[in-house]
Amino acid sequence: MDSHPIANAESVVARAREGDAAALEALYRAFEVPVYNLARRICRTTEDAEDVLQETFFEVCRSIGRYRQDGSLWGWVRTIAASKALMRLRRNKYRDADELHDDVMEHRREDTALRMDLEAALERLGETSRAVVWLHDVEGFTHDEIAGMMGKTVSFSKSQLARAHTRLRKWLGEESLG
Amino acid sequence: MTHLTMEQLLELREPGIEPGTAAQREHLEHCEACRLELDRLEQRAARLRALPTLRPARDQWPRVAARVNTVRRQRRIRWATAGAMALAASLALALLVKRPLPAAPATSSEQELSSLMQRSRALEAAIGAYDPDARVLDGRTSRVASDLEDRIADVDRRLERTELAAPPGTGGPDVMQLWQERVGLLDALVDVHVTRASNVGL
Repeated sequence: MDSHPIANAESVVARAREGDAAALEALYRAFEVPVYNLARRICRTTEDAEDVLQETFFEVCRSIGRYRQDGSLWGWVRTIAASKALMRLRRNKYRDADELHDDVMEHRREDTALRMDLEAALERLGETSRAVVWLHDVEGFTHDEIAGMMGKTVSFSKSQLARAHTRLRKWLGEESLG
Repeated sequence: MTHLTMEQLLELREPGIEPGTAAQREHLEHCEACRLELDRLEQRAARLRALPTLRPARDQWPRVAARVNTVRRQRRIRWATAGAMALAASLALALLVKRPLPAAPATSSEQELSSLMQRSRALEAAIGAYDPDARVLDGRTSRVASDLEDRIADVDRRLERTELAAPPGTGGPDVMQLWQERVGLLDALVDVHVTRASNVGL
């Protein structure tokens, strides 16, 4: 079931394929918020998220003719959005910095016994771990799909998810296994 | 007692059977700590899904629409230019085929047509050199330019049909009229882009 249904989807898509500006805008209005939310949860800044939002819908307008109606429209848009957000991370070289961040700064974080709320803890995760935990646990992408979009292995995706949960557990002040 | 690792706990949440899952499930049945940890993991994921939805502070649609329109305009200009060049080539060929050997002096209508085609190419070159797609236009100017481009594309389609329908050299007055119309529209487009820009000192 499509988690972000759009009224008269078939008609809107058909008109969008013809280049109808009102139909293209209707697609934007229908998915603007979930796309931005996904982008903002993955990207570091609001500016990056806004860029991803623009890039995503430019791609939607350009490629709507290639959308096959056998899958959910939101699923198609969501995949474009996730790819654009991950591309943005790569372009900004966040991932390299992230790995350094994770390896070097993490020790300092672990020393701080502050209990954070989930929002703050998510924000503090490294870029890659945060992207993986969001795409997997919230957006519902499989490890196969995440690995494909990131150009990494399934094992990489799984280990990043485990890493993210281990850190979240600690930062949220949840008890460790005895 | 060795507890399940985070990766093993996460594997238990994945659909389908993973290697080692049966042993992990058996451990889970007898280990309260791991069951508690799995429960926390599920709750954490649920809390992530329940985080507030973030919304863009600004409407990004005008920017997306402007970019889509720019690409369309570039495509139209490319199509129109390519169409005009193809027509010019076919007309030149038609005139050559028609012309008896040795070549007779060009008639006044042939000269006029040739002059119109040259003028058309010069105007397109002027627009190309100005590079309108790289410039910012106000909404009204953008609409006027877009309308002119649409009309040029329409003239090109009519020229193509006229040329295809008529034997070489017989579409005279219609072809001439269409080329005159095309030059007039290109003149207006140059005026919109180049003259206006120079007036405001761009």
